[in-house]
Amino acid sequence: MTAASTTATAPTTAHQRGDTLAGLGAMVRFTLRRDRVKLPAWAGGLGLFGVYVAAAIPSAYPTEDDLGAMTTLFGDPLGRMLTGPGYGFDDPTFERVVGSGYGLYLMLLAALMSILLVTRHTRGEEQTGRAELVRASIVGRHTLLTATLVTAVLTNLAGGIAVWLAMVLVGGFAIAGSTLLAAAVAAVGLAFAGITMVATQLTLYTRAAAGMAGGVLGAAFVVRSGGDMAAEGGTPLSWLSPLGWAQQTGPYVLDRWWPLLLLGALTGITAATGFWLSARRDLAASFVPVRPGPPRARPSLGTPWGLAVRLQRASIIGWTVALSITGMVFGAYADALLGAVEDMPDVFIDLFGAEDLLAGYLGYMAMFMSLFISAFAILAVQSMRSEETGGRGEPVFATPISRWQWLGTNLAVTVVAVVVIAIATGFSTGIGAAVVTGDTIHLGELTLAQLNFIPPVLVTTAVAVLLFGVLPRAIGATWAIVGYAMITGTFGVLLDLPQAAFNLDPFSHIPQMPLEEFAAAPVLILVGLAAAVSALGLVGFRRRPINGS
Amino acid sequence: MDPDLVIHTEGLVKRFGNVVALDELDLDVGRGEVHGFLGPNGAGKSTAIRVLLGLLRADAGHVAMLGGDPWADAVELHRRLAYVPGDVELWPNLTGGEAIDLFARLRGGFDQRRRDELCERFDLDPTKKGRTYSKGNRQKVALISALASDVELLLLDEPTAGLDPLMEAEFQECIREVKAAGHTVLLSSHILAQVEVLADRISIIRQGAIVESGTLSELRHLTRTTIVVELEHDPAPLRALDGIHDLHTVDGQVHFEVDGHRVDEAVRALAPLGVRSLVARPPTLEQLLLRHYGDETTDTTDDESVA
Repeated sequence: MTAASTTATAPTTAHQRGDTLAGLGAMVRFTLRRDRVKLPAWAGGLGLFGVYVAAAIPSAYPTEDDLGAMTTLFGDPLGRMLTGPGYGFDDPTFERVVGSGYGLYLMLLAALMSILLVTRHTRGEEQTGRAELVRASIVGRHTLLTATLVTAVLTNLAGGIAVWLAMVLVGGFAIAGSTLLAAAVAAVGLAFAGITMVATQLTLYTRAAAGMAGGVLGAAFVVRSGGDMAAEGGTPLSWLSPLGWAQQTGPYVLDRWWPLLLLGALTGITAATGFWLSARRDLAASFVPVRPGPPRARPSLGTPWGLAVRLQRASIIGWTVALSITGMVFGAYADALLGAVEDMPDVFIDLFGAEDLLAGYLGYMAMFMSLFISAFAILAVQSMRSEETGGRGEPVFATPISRWQWLGTNLAVTVVAVVVIAIATGFSTGIGAAVVTGDTIHLGELTLAQLNFIPPVLVTTAVAVLLFGVLPRAIGATWAIVGYAMITGTFGVLLDLPQAAFNLDPFSHIPQMPLEEFAAAPVLILVGLAAAVSALGLVGFRRRPINGS
Repeated sequence: MDPDLVIHTEGLVKRFGNVVALDELDLDVGRGEVHGFLGPNGAGKSTAIRVLLGLLRADAGHVAMLGGDPWADAVELHRRLAYVPGDVELWPNLTGGEAIDLFARLRGGFDQRRRDELCERFDLDPTKKGRTYSKGNRQKVALISALASDVELLLLDEPTAGLDPLMEAEFQECIREVKAAGHTVLLSSHILAQVEVLADRISIIRQGAIVESGTLSELRHLTRTTIVVELEHDPAPLRALDGIHDLHTVDGQVHFEVDGHRVDEAVRALAPLGVRSLVARPPTLEQLLLRHYGDETTDTTDDESVA
């Protein structure tokens, strides 16, 4: 491997254009062959999600007149924050509820699919050295990136068709609106494929590239949340987000196609930038030059604690900054919420705690943000697993460090980080709210509200640790807890779920301060549960073999 | 257990599903010796070392290392050993120097001067980040860290696969120093020349079981010496002897192989035939391996025997 550094010049002139795409057909077939399970699964998943909502809404609400209760919630500022500009909720039909209420989540799925697809086939191949082997054969400079783009186009097309089939065949929805919705979903997916093509040129590792593109996706979500919250139909802020553009097509309501041109342009510009950057760097290098580091380790590094802190440091800093910014933005949206209250129907006030609407919103945000903190914790456990399988753990386990000590210190660092991130997030949300309401009480209040949600985060972490110790291949299943809590916590009341369904969600046992009163019992029970489950994971890890590389 | 044995396994079995990785492995490594652990890829060398480290748990059989049970007493035993894996992976954002210090400190301290001297000898730049090292340099990081720790036992799993010949020579020198200090080395390899040069004793593993074990000269005894002679007379009388194999004449030179314990008889038979020149070659480890893997794994043996 050559030294990782940037090259300023690119010898593009010496070659014919066709040479840089040599072997494209074979590479596209090869890429599709490698993803022959993943791609149908993602596209099919989009279709299944479409089938589910297209079938579930009419069965939960037998006539379209019954939809009023649902669209009242979807159409309020908080509902719009989570769903979109809310087109058609004033005159709801099944197709409008599906398109305006759930379309955003189809788009998020398509974007995630594209981010993972592009990082996997570009930076992932370079990082493992496989790209070197491929590029050494008769394969042009742009072939890998082009094959990835072609695959992304085909996959998003397949996803779009799956959504269209679900809407038209299962829902029996209008052809025009269904086609537009499917096209919007695919267009968002492609735009994020383009964005990821740029991100993979800038970073050295798939995780960093996916993190960067995921950050753009998160920002796009947060920006349009604020824009859509402030007014029905969105505000200029909504138009600053690629997700906003896709939603402004208003499937089944406005049925306007032209906002998709914006997504097309974004895809074109980002993909072209990706090609331009990739032609100006070495294989396996990035634009950030690698600097030499210290020749010796600081004394603190030579302990299990030091190692655990060092390995998690970058992730802790990144999540703290990202969630603090997100919290601050959501806190500042309190203003938009209060502004929109006047337009709200009484039904909503009844349902959502009229006495303190603001407190209800901020309390919900504490729960919502704690789901992201759980995501940090699950990823931390997953990276412990990749230490083990990636061959870096083995030499460490061959030193006089017991497995309990290794897992225990890593877990302790993660738990401390969870507390730090919760304080930073809660305090930042408080700053955002305090700035727009002029009331500094939010600072302490929201920090406490966020700390109050640590116990369910710990339970989630403990489940991941248990799986790490007992069934390490299944750590990913922990994400189901976060997904489940997201659904019950956000739509549970609306869907009229039975109490048992709420009881299964660890996050629902915690009162949402500042609207609700603090209660010690759930905190103690959940912390005790987390400790017991983690202990089982530690015991399991002591008893199972280490996976070598 | 014999207190002079640093490693002792008896009937060690390790299965992965239906695959039997270790099939009643009996391995003895004495104190202070450099023990060559020789076998082709997939023979079970790394699995055996992982069991010795307590990373894997044996399904059956008895293992003792430094007098303890590697699964139950892992932490205690790990204070007294250092391990270099065959495929060293480093943290991308830690420098080589940091990784060396990290492993050595986790092992419980090390000689700073020796560490710097080793960096010099192996020509390693410790300020580079883990991701920028080549395979050979990653291996040097693990080796330097292991050699800088003053431990009783070194477990080295194909430690020089990525090193160039100059560094290989430096490595051999370091192993001799370790031996001179009275420490024990288990050196797994499929690089025959390396084991031949360094090892006091050799165990050959094949399909999870030890097929031969002993000093190099003991093993040679079990195999054939190649003899090339120029004779004045017809070599026909040699054909009548037991233990003479593959006798043929090329350009007037007579080539044949003779079983280790019949060399004496062959030399007596040669004397009356008028010997003008004689070359006798001891068996190389390639031949030792060929004898054990020759029939069933001819294809892989060709690759493995390239030293």
